[in-house]
Amino acid sequence: MARYCDGDASAFRELYAAVSPQLYGYLVKMARSKALADDLLQQTFLKVHRARAAYVRGADPLPWIYAIAHRTFIDEVRKGKRAKVNIGDGDDLPEIAADIRGDAVDAKDEPRVDPELLASTLDALAGLPDQQREAVVLTKLEGKSVSEAAEIAGTSVGAMKVRAHRGYEALRKLLGGRAKVKEAS
Amino acid sequence: MSDDDLALPAFAPPPLGAELEAELRAVKPVATRNPLRQLAVLFGASIVYGAGVLALVSTRPDMGELPMMWMAGGAIAWALGFVVPLYLAVVPAAGSMMPRRQLAAGAAITAAVLFVMMGMMIHPHGPSSLQYNAERFPDGHPCLELGLATAIVPVILGALFLRRALPVSSRWIAAALGAGGGSLGGLVLHFHCRVTDPMHTGFIHAGVVTVAALLAALLVPRATDVR
Repeated sequence: MARYCDGDASAFRELYAAVSPQLYGYLVKMARSKALADDLLQQTFLKVHRARAAYVRGADPLPWIYAIAHRTFIDEVRKGKRAKVNIGDGDDLPEIAADIRGDAVDAKDEPRVDPELLASTLDALAGLPDQQREAVVLTKLEGKSVSEAAEIAGTSVGAMKVRAHRGYEALRKLLGGRAKVKEAS
Repeated sequence: MSDDDLALPAFAPPPLGAELEAELRAVKPVATRNPLRQLAVLFGASIVYGAGVLALVSTRPDMGELPMMWMAGGAIAWALGFVVPLYLAVVPAAGSMMPRRQLAAGAAITAAVLFVMMGMMIHPHGPSSLQYNAERFPDGHPCLELGLATAIVPVILGALFLRRALPVSSRWIAAALGAGGGSLGGLVLHFHCRVTDPMHTGFIHAGVVTVAALLAALLVPRATDVR
């Protein structure tokens, strides 16, 4: 980040290569639309680029970049454009699942994920309210601590704990219910 | 359901977009943020400005009649109300770029509440002091205006230093800037205004902190939000 702020464009590409896979994963899980996540990722990095003077040398920029992605997503939802239509409708599930089968990052090293399980997990995630979904995505899927997740979402640690707990419980019920339906059929 | 059940593979991100590529072709070095240096400038400029305002409006004529301990203690309290919220708003924790949202918010709220309580409960007066009380309460508005005018410099400087730096929590950080600036206004009023009734000191002098924090929370995020 420091080299990039000093005018080295190749350092930005390195930053993008290092950060974008996990950030993109976060945005896909939040937006539930690959096309929207593509757009949000580009918007996020444009904002990072334009706000690079805010960088504090020696600081970890990752939570800041995540927070920009969070804010970009929230703004998109508020605009009531594509996000509102896509979140929760599940239209993109087959596309996402197919994509993961096709070109997952480090696919050679990763065990193949059952597309049905993936689709049902993403579908269940989509059934959660935005705040709970974000709490589950950040703390359970992105591996952030509760305090990191709270910092990214701009909320208190206590509120993030409650959101994550409620979201996780709701997700457990949703996934459990679907498993029962599947077994019955 | 264990955490492993939720484990999803990484997603392959798209390449850089055309707009980003175009901006990168013209990338130039930028001066990065140095929070401690910014804080030093913020404190220095604000104190010089506050002292200038006080010199312009003159000090209170009853100062020599009031207990020295109260004058000094009140000044220290107002100075702390100026320093602590501004420090928390401008300087992130070591190794972090993210604002200290909770501490800054806590400092803003504490300053707003404590100064009202202080003004309502402790208000010594001398022969040259004035008492407006409820009947002349509205006549105290010049103090509110003077306090807010004093708060302008720290709030504007803080907003400039945090320009496009805050993706989240910008309203609380802005409120802390406002509370810090309002406390500087309160400090100027502490040395300027000889009206000592509890309603005036509690609601107008301390009200500067609340009003400045609310105005800053409303307006400053336009500058400090990452866009």
